Amino acid sequence: MTSTLKGITLKGSAELVAEFFSFGINNILYQRGIYPTETFTRVTHYDMSLFFTTDPKLKSYLTDVVSQLKEWLFECTVQKLVLVITCLETNEVLERWQFDIECDKSAKESSAPREKSLKTIQDEIRSVIRQITATVTFLPLLETPCAFDLLVYTDKDLVVPDKWEESGPQIIDQSEEVRLRSFTTSIHKVNSMVAYKKTN
Amino acid sequence: MDLEDDTTVLTTLKSFNSFISRPEHPQRLSDQSAGSGNLQSQYKRSMELLEAAERVNSKHRYLQLDQEKKQMELSHKRARFELEKAASDSAIDLEHVVDRNQDLLGRIKKFEERESEVAKNLSEHIEANNALRKNLSSLNKKLEERDSRLNIANQTNISLKDEIRDLKQKIQNQESTASAQNLENQELQEQLDLQRRKYQELSQLCQNLQAAQSSCSEHIIKIKELERRLVLQEQDIAIVKTVKSEVARVPDLEKELKRLRDDNAFLRESRENCSLLKEEAEGLRKKLERMEKTKEELVNMELEKERLAEKLQAWENLGKSTGLNIRKPEDLSREVIQIQQREIALKEQNYTLNSRVRSVERAEAELTAEVSQQRSKTLEEQKKRETQDALVRRLQKRVILLTKERDGMRAILESYDSELAPSEYSPQLSRRLREAEDILQKTQNHNAEMEVQLTKAQEETGTLKIQLQTVQLELESLKKQQSSGADSNSSVTKEEVSILRQKIEDLEAERQRLEEQNNNLEMRLERHNLQGDYDPVKTRVLHFKMNPTTVAKQQRKQEMEDLQEEVTRLSDLVRALQEDPCVNMSSFSLSLPPSKEVLDLRKKLELSELKNQRLMEVFQKKIQEFRTVCCVLTGYQMDITTENQYRLTSVYAEHMDDVLLFKKGSNGSIQLLENDFSKSLGEMVALHLHHQKSIPAFLSAVTLDLFSRQTTV
Repeated sequence: MTSTLKGITLKGSAELVAEFFSFGINNILYQRGIYPTETFTRVTHYDMSLFFTTDPKLKSYLTDVVSQLKEWLFECTVQKLVLVITCLETNEVLERWQFDIECDKSAKESSAPREKSLKTIQDEIRSVIRQITATVTFLPLLETPCAFDLLVYTDKDLVVPDKWEESGPQIIDQSEEVRLRSFTTSIHKVNSMVAYKKTN
Repeated sequence: MDLEDDTTVLTTLKSFNSFISRPEHPQRLSDQSAGSGNLQSQYKRSMELLEAAERVNSKHRYLQLDQEKKQMELSHKRARFELEKAASDSAIDLEHVVDRNQDLLGRIKKFEERESEVAKNLSEHIEANNALRKNLSSLNKKLEERDSRLNIANQTNISLKDEIRDLKQKIQNQESTASAQNLENQELQEQLDLQRRKYQELSQLCQNLQAAQSSCSEHIIKIKELERRLVLQEQDIAIVKTVKSEVARVPDLEKELKRLRDDNAFLRESRENCSLLKEEAEGLRKKLERMEKTKEELVNMELEKERLAEKLQAWENLGKSTGLNIRKPEDLSREVIQIQQREIALKEQNYTLNSRVRSVERAEAELTAEVSQQRSKTLEEQKKRETQDALVRRLQKRVILLTKERDGMRAILESYDSELAPSEYSPQLSRRLREAEDILQKTQNHNAEMEVQLTKAQEETGTLKIQLQTVQLELESLKKQQSSGADSNSSVTKEEVSILRQKIEDLEAERQRLEEQNNNLEMRLERHNLQGDYDPVKTRVLHFKMNPTTVAKQQRKQEMEDLQEEVTRLSDLVRALQEDPCVNMSSFSLSLPPSKEVLDLRKKLELSELKNQRLMEVFQKKIQEFRTVCCVLTGYQMDITTENQYRLTSVYAEHMDDVLLFKKGSNGSIQLLENDFSKSLGEMVALHLHHQKSIPAFLSAVTLDLFSRQTTV
């Protein structure tokens, strides 16, 4: 982490946000039961107990995505990260966890660190993750076997790397949206929200 | 009490004596004082004294009685008190007694209860005693029985001892026979040696014979070989014959060969054709699959297209409803931008017009201010003029007055002149005249000044009027200008302003409408954004190729295919089974992957089977061991032929058929079944079974009998 106790740089911010995504995605996967509970282990981060996967395939996938995401965050070319939960039986999108990322592109030019302490940022991140955990109470139960996918909305001029391909937005037909908390590192601002399929 | 009474009497007597003795002195004194004694009075006095004494006495008595009475009362009281006390004591005693009585009653009851309990116990004890007595008697009986049994046992014991003695004797006999047998054995060994020597000789002879036999067999082999050759030659001859006949058939065969080759070629071609056709068919199938896929895609695309068309329709509707030429979001944005630009232009126009209006209004305000100033000035001037006019009038009045005065003065002077001689009064008059003339002069000067002033004022007013006029002119000109500016500017501008206002209002309304629309659209955009929509011009959506969803989908597809295959296989099997129910199931190797549970169960089953087998082996081993041991120890081999039937074969039996059959009855008793062998043992049966009722004794007797038979023979 390049950020000192007082200030934060673009690189540090990108790393912080990527780390948040890593933990946030794991948390969602655990809370929504996409993967069995026994494949998760407890780790302590942000001064709170979180669940992290032990499934080697999932782990490698997440590290691939998050490292790529970190690059894009550093380049300020990423607009959104979306976690899509799809029903395997009907191929229907049931949930979309959307994280809008607002990049302060001026940080690319000036390398001066912003004044925001790591502790404050982590406090904000903690409250976001708490809220994600709390949303499980009102989200409809996932009764069918489901799988997830991570979509990244990037700028159009970006070169698509290997192993990546273009995808549809995977929009939910008749959805209900709930805005969640946001946090900012003063360079990247992350607004989170969840959309889920309306149940009759 | 009497004593007290006595004392009281004594005291009264004393007091009486003293009383009697005392008055003598006063009497004497009185006697002395009265003069010499008067007996009568003395008598009287003594009488009186007697009376007094009596009175005192009675009084005393009364007192005494009174005291006695009091005493009596006191004693009475005491007696009563004591009586009461005694009564209370007796009452308390009575209560005590009653209590005790109750206690005693309670005790009696308890004792009664105890008595009843004791009686019960007693009865129980008696019963127990009876039972014990009975037991005792039964035990006695048993004892007697046992005694009798013991006697029987003793008898049997004695008999057994006798038997043992017999057996010992037999054993001695047997030993003697054994020694005899040993001797025999030695003899036999000597014979054996002799036999061996004979055997060796015989074996030498045998070897010679074998050599002769081998040479013989060689000859036989040679003969056989020659015979075989002969046969072969015969066969060759037969073959040659057949070959000749075949050679005759060769041309036919060649023809046939040719035909067959042709056929072959034709078939090859057809096979090639067939494979080609197959390939084609395969290609077509693939094409068909692709076509189906594309069809599905087409359907999806159509669905999407419809969706998009709906969307588009919605947009177009929006466009129609707004009356704008909106076909695409860009059009809308463009339209919005245009409208905004127009709005901006109109706003600018509005602003310029407003500023112009404001400047004109400002000029107008300035002019009105000037006009009001000028008016106030003119008013001031008018006031001044009026004051001047008034002054002029006053001055004229004064002039008239002064002229009148002068005329008066002149008249007076004339009268004076006429009346008085000019000599007398001439200096005075001349002086007065001069004075008057001076005054006149002064007034005239004053008048002239006034007139000058008036003219000045008039001039001033004139200039002011001119000014006013010029100002008015100016005002008019300004008004004209204004009107022209409100005519050209006002009449034209007003219209323009009103038009512009109208326009501005319209534009404002439009602006509001557009703002609303904009807000609406922004909200929709936000909603779309929330739902995950994006601007395809600026953004692209990427995802990892091998993401968990696609992986899971592929897996699912694979699974589905596998299942489909299995289903087809199973349906085939079912069909086959329906057609021919006795088809061997094993021919269809059901490669159903057995579930984990089944595998586990199988393993368990195998384990348990193995265990069972091992146990069986151990049991068999043990049973065998047990049976052999039983056989060795008892001399009988025991078999179960049928249910509840046991066959005993003695190891000393002379024949295989010499067996004893026993049957187990339903009540557990074992009975000997009759057969040929048991019939031959009638004596023993009678003795041991019928008389002694002991199967072991019978069996051992049989054993002994058989053993003795074997050894003696």
